[in-house]
Amino acid sequence: MDNLDDPRLNFNYRTRERGTVPMDEKRDRFQWVSEVAYKNVHRIVSRGYDTTELVEQGYGLTDVLFIDFQSRIPLIEEDKMLNYVMVCMLEDGLSSPANISRIVASGKTLLTQAAGSSILAFGHAYGAYQEIGKTMDGILARQEKEGKPPAEVVEAVVKTRLNDPALGVSGLMLKDPMAKRMIARAEKSGVAGKYVSLMKEIVKAAQKLSQEPVDIDLLGATGAVMFDLGFTPEATWGILAVTRAFATGAHYCEEIEREAPVSLGQTLTPKEWYDGPEDRPVPTLEERKKVAKAMEAQTPEEWKQTFLERQKIKGSGWAIVEEIGDPRRKI
Amino acid sequence: MDRQPLIKRKTALSYKTEEQTVVRGYNVSDLAEAGYTFYDMLFILFQNRIAAENEVDMLRYETGEFLEHSMSPSAASAIAVIGGRPNLPAAIAAAVMTFGSAHGPGAAHGYMMHKYIERARVEGKTLEEMGKILVDEYMDAGLAVMGMGQPQHLDGDPRAEPTHIKHEQLCSGVYLALQRSIEKHFNARRKKEGKAFVAVNMIGAGNTALAELGFSPNAAWCIGCVCRGFSCAAHATYTMKKGHAWAASKREPMVQMLDLSMIKYKGPADREVPSQSERQEYARKQKEEGEYKKWTI
Repeated sequence: MDNLDDPRLNFNYRTRERGTVPMDEKRDRFQWVSEVAYKNVHRIVSRGYDTTELVEQGYGLTDVLFIDFQSRIPLIEEDKMLNYVMVCMLEDGLSSPANISRIVASGKTLLTQAAGSSILAFGHAYGAYQEIGKTMDGILARQEKEGKPPAEVVEAVVKTRLNDPALGVSGLMLKDPMAKRMIARAEKSGVAGKYVSLMKEIVKAAQKLSQEPVDIDLLGATGAVMFDLGFTPEATWGILAVTRAFATGAHYCEEIEREAPVSLGQTLTPKEWYDGPEDRPVPTLEERKKVAKAMEAQTPEEWKQTFLERQKIKGSGWAIVEEIGDPRRKI
Repeated sequence: MDRQPLIKRKTALSYKTEEQTVVRGYNVSDLAEAGYTFYDMLFILFQNRIAAENEVDMLRYETGEFLEHSMSPSAASAIAVIGGRPNLPAAIAAAVMTFGSAHGPGAAHGYMMHKYIERARVEGKTLEEMGKILVDEYMDAGLAVMGMGQPQHLDGDPRAEPTHIKHEQLCSGVYLALQRSIEKHFNARRKKEGKAFVAVNMIGAGNTALAELGFSPNAAWCIGCVCRGFSCAAHATYTMKKGHAWAASKREPMVQMLDLSMIKYKGPADREVPSQSERQEYARKQKEEGEYKKWTI
């Protein structure tokens, strides 16, 4: 009846052992291994610093971010610059994180669900810090390897990435000076370094190559400044996504205060918004034998035909072509 | 490029135009240029006001100590989630979502405080008296008094009492008075019942100070929990960059979190899968016997 005696199986399914695997006595027992922090009954220690002693000495959240992520006490000007970035990043109106928080809130959930879910808005387009970091580090690495002038390497890269939402340059902040002021503040404070310089080159190249007016945007400014403050792209991604999550907590509160909760089945989708197949009768299970056709392809050519057909079906996922890589960065 | 919001909402928090982003009436770029900090921003965002310096000092202290707590449900979740190597934000989101009625129940503690402060006002009692009433009501009902005890820090969370002292120095008020009374009467009653001393935890200390600073129960909860998101990002990033995916590698000198030997099974003993011809009779008998109910969750 079943396939469990098939000779192609890797082992004998009829005589498999039962029960769980005994404790492995040959290796050390499991422990939570961390270079970041530990605690015992009386202490909480981050990178060697007792956190209670830190706050008693006047250090705060932004200092502890340097300690947690970089294992160092920041210079005062670095701490001030991180505050500057986080002030600008906290709230952004009804953008994706706030929307997610409000939608989750509308189901009558806990605040932590709404604020937590808002962090998921940060991807490879919205708040694409890992992507922009990869781009910038790639340019710097290429420049070092090829020994060409920075402008030349930057232009070659920007030429292929002009419409990339992770470039840090776009038409989003042509009238809003926030990003440019942030860069100027970083330079004035003495914290600007190679990433701010590189971002300025990227802006220059994009302005030369683009048909449309473009300038540095919030991703470009915050990314370059955070990297010059010593945060890795991944750390930046995490820190700034969490920064925004504080504000999405306020959006959660306001949604609950001002709007009614949404019930299952409540939300309608107007038929005028629908452009799928026309309404049609459901075949009986008997009729299914005549109507339905299996779709397995037997040759690469057949596969290509079905692939192209399937791409026409909106919402099937076939039209999305991407590579989902290991999130660890490799330059 | 479509720049319209996905959902239409009237909001008193902020607006954003092509020219500026404005929170509670203040241009955020101007706030940053003027030297306001992230701590100031939390007062503006949640309370629509510029905070006094002593209040900012208290919030700096609290958020600084809230941020890192090594291994707790939130950090453990972040580490577990990143084991599958999704994008980093997924691990951080999961970590923030671990905060509920046991791990950092900030909002619940805040609402408890509000209820009893209001009762003190209405019933004409002092906060000292109301602390005893709260403790007796909770303990008589068999409920845990929120803000007391921490499973790891058996002599009291090392951050808690220093937070109370800082709170006294910087912004003492009704919340601290009630919380101190709760702690006093809670332990007096435990002593009378022959039970050991239990110290205040970071909800009792930290959330009380956030309430005193004017943050609503949910706003205070948000600040406490989201702060932890930062350190969970660090734990997840560390694991992503320096640990093995899946957390089950046999090559590690230490048994990993998801090694097969870490599984202890306490469910029904192994049993034969009935064939489809036996199925209906088997299932009927199993349902009638009802032994399965012991395992139903």
